[in-house]
Formats: sequence, structure tokens, C-alpha cells
Amino acid sequence: MKDFDAAGVAVYALSYDEADALRDFRDAHGITYSLLSDPDSEIIRSFGILNDLIDPDDHPWYGIPYPGTYVVDADGVITHKFFEHNLAVRHGPEQLLRAVQGQPMLETSPSLEARLDESAAETVQVGVALDGDALAPTVQRDLVARFRVPAGRHVYAEPAPQGSVAVDVVLDENDRLVPRPIVRPASEPHALADSGESFQVHHDVFELRLPLTINNASRSESTEITVSGEVRWQACDDEVCDIPSSRRFEVVVPVADSPAVALGSKRGAALEPNALAHFRKMSERRMASD
Amino acid sequence: MPSESETRATQTDTGWQDHDGFIGPFRPGKGPRTNPRGDFPTGPEVGETMPNARCITADATPFDLHADRAGKPALFIFYRSAVW
Repeated sequence: MKDFDAAGVAVYALSYDEADALRDFRDAHGITYSLLSDPDSEIIRSFGILNDLIDPDDHPWYGIPYPGTYVVDADGVITHKFFEHNLAVRHGPEQLLRAVQGQPMLETSPSLEARLDESAAETVQVGVALDGDALAPTVQRDLVARFRVPAGRHVYAEPAPQGSVAVDVVLDENDRLVPRPIVRPASEPHALADSGESFQVHHDVFELRLPLTINNASRSESTEITVSGEVRWQACDDEVCDIPSSRRFEVVVPVADSPAVALGSKRGAALEPNALAHFRKMSERRMASD
Repeated sequence: MPSESETRATQTDTGWQDHDGFIGPFRPGKGPRTNPRGDFPTGPEVGETMPNARCITADATPFDLHADRAGKPALFIFYRSAVW
């Protein structure tokens, strides 16, 4: 939260819980952003995001939204919205901060810079690292591949010309990882002087971001996970293209616990002793109003 | 086209596993694990003015989003429940 405070960003979270339940939750977890109560799902409905796949008689589940986040600029205009098919995958704080800050200029990242070999400045350099401290179930973070392309050269963006290779990050299969489609930066058109042929490329320094979440499939006590795969690209100058290149990567990432759920664990129940009572109350209120 | 529910699931020793590998006590496609498959409504679009939200806070005081935001950029998160 301190990053959002420092950036002057207000953070609000709305649910259909009663105010007293939200107070207990806030106090148990030391939450400093604003929790909002919409017990009759009026705001949820007004936004048009009520989960209407749930049967209206299925209590207490009916009344929840399709979960998602709107990013709003200083003028009150929506600049991004993030909705996911799987309730267990939620955009992480680093992703949301980047969005609300308008995806700032690339900053020096020590972990990424350390992977670039200064002695090989005439070739494409690639560094791969996680944007965040750890992976925790439900919290999505970006695996970032940062490229540095020498001056006078470019790499093919998508879509690459037929027979050529567009820059890409391909993850090894891993049952614990839940990837989503790569986020690519805007590419630039590049025309060859001789033929006039034009295609999309990237120059200089750019990033591909692969959103990743870890699931809870493994009950092992492992405190880290190896995220591995291959980065692929094809570099050219105005006359000649190199053969396509690829480089393996392995990033060892700490694994953090997901937050304790009050109704799902002893640890959670200890933090929120009133959770079961709140659950009964919200269920009974909804059944009584049928 | 109306949304439909995602029901792909496998029963394991520790619960129901969805197609992304998440395991939980409820079967995907029911109750709290009702996720959409394909298109589903996501509310106002990028570029539109954020609708105002008037409701109450956790302290049971009145809340008005644009008044409270007072010209600051904001994140507005809709989540399912703090209780369950």
C-alpha cells in the first residue's frame, strides 16, 4: 500500500459483505485502504457485473460480482480494466501500480541489468526476472524479459514476416504455473530502402511481460519454484538478418503463502474469530428475503 | 451470447481441481466457484467516465466515490467476499 500512497493513488475495494464484517476483516489484517459495503449488490448491479451464472436461490453466493479492477485517472476516466475468467487469478499490486502510473519509462532493474553481459554489446542482450518478490497463489505477477538491441539493429515483432521469428517467451510446462497471454509493447514499422517492404520491429530497450500466477496444486513445503523456458528472437540490420536465436532461462522464485482464509484454515479462523458468525448472518438474511 | 459456466474439473485427494490447477473444496461450476467461460459482462469500458459509487464504508458512514477521490487517480476493486 505504501507504493500506492507514495504515488498518490486512492485504493477502494467493494464487496457485498455487511459493514461490521468488513470492520472485523480490516482489523484482523491491518488493511489501510477503503473497504466498501454493498450488501444488496446495488453497486454491483449498477456496474452490470453481477455474476448471473449463479442461481438466485443459491445463498449466500448469489449477489457477488465477476471480480475485477478498474483503473481511474485523475479526471475520473477509466484507463484500464482487469477481469479474469478464473476467480483464483487476480492482478498483483505491481501490475496495478504500473497501470495506474501509465506504464512508466523502463527503469533500471538491478536483477535484470545483472543478467546483461556488457562485454557483448554488439549482440541482442536479454535478462529475465520476476517483477515482484515472490509468487503466491492468486496473486498474478509479471515474468519480465528485457531486451537490449544494439543501435542500427532491430528484432522482429509480431507478426513476423513469413519464414521469420517474432520475439517471444516460451515457458516450459509446469503444472504449478498459470500463465496468461504475453503483453507486448507497441512495435514500430520498419521499411527496407531497397524493396520498400515494411514490417513491425522493436528497437533499443523493450520488455515482454508474461503474467504468471502459481496455483495451489502441490501441497509440498517447497519455498521456491524454478520458472524456466526459452526466449526467442531474430535480429537484423538494414541488409542482413541473423538466423533465429534462442536462449534458455531459469529463474528461481520464492513461493509465499496465500492469505489465510478465515473459513478455510485454523490460521485464518484464529485471525478472524467472528467470520463464521458473519457467514451465517449473511446466509440467513439472504434466505429470509426470498 | 449469454455467458456459460466453466465446469472443467478433476476430483483429487484434496478437493476439486480446475483447469488451471487450483484445488478447492467446491466443484468448479457451482456456488463460489462459478466462473464464466468465454465472454462475460465486465461493465463500463476503457475511455468512459467511471460511474459514481454511493454506498457505505466499513465504518457504516456514507461514501461517494468521486467526492472521496477528490481528483486523485484510483483503483476500484470489485471482489467477492471478505467473509468467505
